[in-house]
Amino acid sequence: MDHSSIKLQNKSELQMNADVIIKKKSLLSIYLENIRKYWMLYIMILPGVAFYIIFKYIPLFGSVIAFQDYQIFKGILNSPWVWFENFKFIFSYQDFYHVLRNTAMIAFYQLIFGFPAPIILALLFNEIRLMFFKRTVQTLFYLPHFLSWVVVGGIVFELLATGGIVNSIRGIFGAEPILFIQEENYFRTIVVISGIWKGVGWGTIIYLAAITAINPSLYEAAVIDGANRWKQIRYITLPLLFPTILVLFLLNIGNFLELGFDQIFNLLTPMTYSVGDIIETYVYRAGVLQGQFSVTTAIGLFQSIVGFILLYIFNRLARKSEQGLW
Amino acid sequence: MKKSWGEKCFQIFNYTFLTVVAATMILPLLQLLAVSFSSPIPAESKKVFLFPVEFTLGTWKHLLQNEVLWRSFGVTIFITVVGTLLSMLFTVLTAFPLSRKEFLLKKPIMIAIVVTMIFNAPMIPYFLTVRELGLMDSIWALIIPGLISTFNMIILRTFFMGIPSDIDDAARIDGCNDFRLLFQIYLPLSKPVLATIGLFYAVGYWNSFQAAVLFLRDQTLWPLQMRLRGFFESPEALADVNLVMGDYDFNTITLKAATIIFATVPIVLVYPFLQKYFVKGAVLGSLKE
Repeated sequence: MDHSSIKLQNKSELQMNADVIIKKKSLLSIYLENIRKYWMLYIMILPGVAFYIIFKYIPLFGSVIAFQDYQIFKGILNSPWVWFENFKFIFSYQDFYHVLRNTAMIAFYQLIFGFPAPIILALLFNEIRLMFFKRTVQTLFYLPHFLSWVVVGGIVFELLATGGIVNSIRGIFGAEPILFIQEENYFRTIVVISGIWKGVGWGTIIYLAAITAINPSLYEAAVIDGANRWKQIRYITLPLLFPTILVLFLLNIGNFLELGFDQIFNLLTPMTYSVGDIIETYVYRAGVLQGQFSVTTAIGLFQSIVGFILLYIFNRLARKSEQGLW
Repeated sequence: MKKSWGEKCFQIFNYTFLTVVAATMILPLLQLLAVSFSSPIPAESKKVFLFPVEFTLGTWKHLLQNEVLWRSFGVTIFITVVGTLLSMLFTVLTAFPLSRKEFLLKKPIMIAIVVTMIFNAPMIPYFLTVRELGLMDSIWALIIPGLISTFNMIILRTFFMGIPSDIDDAARIDGCNDFRLLFQIYLPLSKPVLATIGLFYAVGYWNSFQAAVLFLRDQTLWPLQMRLRGFFESPEALADVNLVMGDYDFNTITLKAATIIFATVPIVLVYPFLQKYFVKGAVLGSLKE
């Protein structure tokens, strides 16, 4: 009897002590203790944290110059605030709509034609049974990913020149040579095709990995039920690939308006500005070269916000099938 | 198993289609190679396909004497070697703490980093920041602003997290601190993934172009890709002699072809050796947490 009561007393005392200790251990002291114990990890992360602050966060917060009349000698702190004047200006400015239209059109074509291309290619690869052939072809398909856009641009100009291969082939059929790269009608097609050429092989890597992860017994069962190759793709591969496709689609949509400076810059000529001048090339010319910092930052900010809104909307849609990014 | 007629047709189509498209991936480069070894007249009249016509080494002899080109080559070699090494160091040092359960700041820092992937800073504030740091017209402008690629960092971190934790329990009992744990145990275990991201960084630096466009007004610092574009815009600078006046065994077409090959071959030569690694690496980076 006695013993048990002492035990009880001890227990409650212990519990009280524990409560006090937990209360004493504020968040700060937990961190301090963690730092003391694992200080090396904190030292290791310092350069990385400094990098992200300096090259990612400072420019991000530096975007406030979109709301200023930024003057280089006054800096961010002393430049006058004009709030939404820059945005009012760009929305009343013909060139802006022009550039936005070009960007959106090219982005749209790239999504329609460029996004499915690696999926289709991965499915085709998957039907190949000769391993030697498969490996050789894949190596060739990855190659263009390693070329710079300057090189690819050079190749494109060369192929499409008046004396280039494309015009030589057309010449066989008696067609007059066309300087494609300077024709407004062809510019966007060239952008989309060259983009696919460079990126399609590389893009298959993730899809092929996802296809390899599919349980082979599913196919075996389907074969027993009499499904042919096409039905196996339609009812097994594609549905199981869908989550991967969705994630990549969402990542893509977040950068919808960011087409990649290098590609367009290296394919663009003054002849094709009317159809090919995009936000990034315009911002470079008007901002970096001509020093209209505030207005071009406003355009850049607009671009980022559109990207985020699109990502948000599509993620909401994706979440309905419980497969969103967050 | 017997194949249906339709399936056979598809197989034939598939092999043919993939062969043809794969050929388009390599033929343009082979053609440029052939042009670079051909004489000016057949090159001019587009007679060269896959084999040099009227073989000559004139183009290459002239090109390899071009000091400006070698200078740019030196810049590119420098940023590729130094940049890749520094990037690897920064990436390893960032990825390791972010892979440790006991590191309390792991989650907030990771979120802060992923946020920068979604909200990319616009070009102009980025440009102004680098300029404020005094990196304009400095070779470091091609390296420092791109030291860590978040994508590569996440690949490495995912790999670190997959290393079984009994290894570091054992190491801790032996009195191994975090730095030694990272450099003597984790890194040797991560060789394939290190090779992968090393390749990704090296390719990035080798092909680096936008940074040069933004930050280098001084032509003497131009890396190879930038120089290549400069040559495309004014081929006379590349020829360096008055082609109309003399009888030369090269012209701007053969020179241009040779320059493209010159700027491409080193990186293309490395990649088949690393191919078995990078496929794994690229997949690791895509893993969802």
